[in-house]
Amino acid sequence: MPKNVITLCYRKIIDTTSINHWDKFVHEDSFTEFRMQSQLYNTEQKYQTFAELLLNAEGAEKLHFLVSAAITGYLRQLNGIIPDILDQLGRRFLTFEHFKFEIINSDINDISKHKVAINFFSKPLVWHNTINNMLLVSQYTAIAAEETFTNLFQIQPFVSIHSIKNID
Amino acid sequence: MIGAISAPVIIEACKNNSVADSNTSGTAGTNTSTNGTCSIAPTETEGPFPTKVPTSYVRSDITDGKTGYKLTAKITIGNLNNSCAGLAGAIVDIWHCDAEGNYSEYGGTSLQSTNYQSVHFLRGRQTTDANGLVTFTSIFPGWYSGRATHIHVHVYNAAGTSLKVTQIAFPEGAGTGVALVNGYSKGMNGYTYNNADNIFSDDKTGLEIAAVNGSLTPGFDLTFKLNVSA
Repeated sequence: MPKNVITLCYRKIIDTTSINHWDKFVHEDSFTEFRMQSQLYNTEQKYQTFAELLLNAEGAEKLHFLVSAAITGYLRQLNGIIPDILDQLGRRFLTFEHFKFEIINSDINDISKHKVAINFFSKPLVWHNTINNMLLVSQYTAIAAEETFTNLFQIQPFVSIHSIKNID
Repeated sequence: MIGAISAPVIIEACKNNSVADSNTSGTAGTNTSTNGTCSIAPTETEGPFPTKVPTSYVRSDITDGKTGYKLTAKITIGNLNNSCAGLAGAIVDIWHCDAEGNYSEYGGTSLQSTNYQSVHFLRGRQTTDANGLVTFTSIFPGWYSGRATHIHVHVYNAAGTSLKVTQIAFPEGAGTGVALVNGYSKGMNGYTYNNADNIFSDDKTGLEIAAVNGSLTPGFDLTFKLNVSA
């Protein structure tokens, strides 16, 4: 039977409605960094919003990257575990090394407009089966074991299959 | 969560057994029900607990494993409104390219992802001391097509308001760092010198050129005074 190895992407949205400490730190610190770094592209202080900067200021798309330094310290605090996404047993089970930070919207004068996303890309998983609306997966290892421990989980909003590779 | 809530209840229950006339345990909670929402509740030990951390730019050694000849950059920020005396508490960002001429960066909306451990190599932030000085440990920058060797600098006041965005140029000619490093593995074929550089070519008096001393081993020291209106 062909075996599919997948990676998942969880796009975690953080805005002013986020309530837990980690999310709040990410929200506040990315806003502070946005205000600082955006000045590179806003020397005449003509623009207020990220959308205006993207539209009018050359190179402003680099702000996604430049602002991401404000949050990499918080990523380290996760110890390689993707937050929020649980298996059927209620445990976080996805691990990551790769991410992509995005500014969705922001306004240098209004933190309530500041909305960002962290895309977490999971380490490879073997997709064994689909049971009802759930996927049965296990951590991918180069050497297949006789018995593999698995996780059963449901695809939920803001979680998607990011890549797929067929290995026979 | 379940563990945290049930523990006090058990303690109160024990008290009730030993103190006969008490018939109230605990205090009225304020949590409202979220029961019935279609999601799995987390069932794990809480933590690790997040703590506030500065942006990962804040470090003196910005090398991040990039190889090259060592460069120690000492930048002093002076205040034009105070006879160019050292400006304390200013925030100084620097960034420059690696030995091959590449910056740490990505942009746009592609699905390119990055490992979070070393994504901001050769970028750093320091706050000036009482003398207006910041020090960074890095590597001698490489070069890329169309530009002379340079380091980018962005100076902010303590509140994060931009005071100056500029670039530092390097001295050229026999015996200089630029000549000794010799473009790393690229060599100097196609190199743009300061007088042909579109940023530095108007700097006829060398105001933008740092003092750079040293040798390949143990490395180079760069000193630069940058005056801003603060």
